[in-house]
Amino acid sequence: MHISEGILSGPVLIAGAALAVVGAGIGLKRLNPDQVPKVSVLSAAFFVASLVHIPIGPANVHLTLNGLMGLCLGWAAFPAIMVALILQTLLFQYGGLTTLGVNSIVMASPALVCFFVFKSGVRSDRAGVSVTASFLCGFGSVLLAALLMAFSLFFTGEQFLVVAKLIVAAHLPVMIIEGLITVIAVKFIKQVKPEILEAMYAS
Amino acid sequence: MRAKMRAGWGVLFMTLMLCLNVSFIPHAHAHRIYLFAWVEGDMVHTDSYFPNRKKVGGGRIEVFDEKGNRLLEGKTDEKGAFSFTPPQKTTLRIVLNASMGHKAEFTLSADEFSDGPQEKKAETPMNTSKAKPLTGAAMDREQVRIEIEGVLDQKLRPIIRALARIQEEKTPGFRDIIAGIGYIFGIMGLILYFKNRPKN
Repeated sequence: MHISEGILSGPVLIAGAALAVVGAGIGLKRLNPDQVPKVSVLSAAFFVASLVHIPIGPANVHLTLNGLMGLCLGWAAFPAIMVALILQTLLFQYGGLTTLGVNSIVMASPALVCFFVFKSGVRSDRAGVSVTASFLCGFGSVLLAALLMAFSLFFTGEQFLVVAKLIVAAHLPVMIIEGLITVIAVKFIKQVKPEILEAMYAS
Repeated sequence: MRAKMRAGWGVLFMTLMLCLNVSFIPHAHAHRIYLFAWVEGDMVHTDSYFPNRKKVGGGRIEVFDEKGNRLLEGKTDEKGAFSFTPPQKTTLRIVLNASMGHKAEFTLSADEFSDGPQEKKAETPMNTSKAKPLTGAAMDREQVRIEIEGVLDQKLRPIIRALARIQEEKTPGFRDIIAGIGYIFGIMGLILYFKNRPKN
């Protein structure tokens, strides 16, 4: 889901960079020093997760874990994802430096949105509600990221519907797998150390 | 009973993570595409592929000259190859556009186009067919040279391709992963240090 250099137009890149800086700023401001180790571990997990590949036809798609990031970190998901993306660009040449802002928005805003939408569901003590909310959070965050990516490509003149269908279709298996991973992870965390889930405590 | 339930989910989670981590080691990635071009005689051949060696079929190729004028365009076949005869033998910038925001570029410099046998080919009208009887020592030498060029092109092609792969491919190695994780924890340490200083 990383957009390479030289595809997006200037205004899109600048807008993306500005929004990403704002998002990361808010995330950092709200960051409690006690939370920093948790943020780092999840950032590292996100960093490594992009290396897990699921071959779909001619291309490969990769895991994102942004649903889980949102649930665990809330706003802090923004800087966590941004740092991981910067390192991926520098070390692996995934995506590009100019596209960092846009890529951060594409990955981190779904994490935030799904966090807000699903946190009460995940927090619930009823197993069914919690499982469904976790699955939808994982599923939804990849879906939103795919749509945002199509949206940013749309601004460069590509046909939105065509590109969107392509990206969403290619990522459907990822969405399902992410949903499952989020369910299992949330279940495990809730039983072992519920404090990790920001979703449990944020208002 | 509760402890057993906890352990159950924990084991499932760990197994899942382990499987995923193990699976990423042999596979490579489609976050970028590779494009390589080389000259063979009068033609420019291009090769496009994903890092895991899968070919980029149906990718859009555009060729520009140094001033940015578009010279020609085309599509790669299902083997990821696209060949063309350059309308001019100058520095060419070849751009590949694949779906989902993947883009790659390759610059072919003017001096990769060899002169000599091509021009000689144009001048001597009788050397198009190898079956023609050789007349004169100069013709012999010319024929031999052309044949050697052809054979060399053929033999060198796989070597050029392999070289291209080695040069271009920087798939994330173990070192890079460790480096990334190290940086993340380093940043964490810095943030913790600054946030925890006593406010005087």
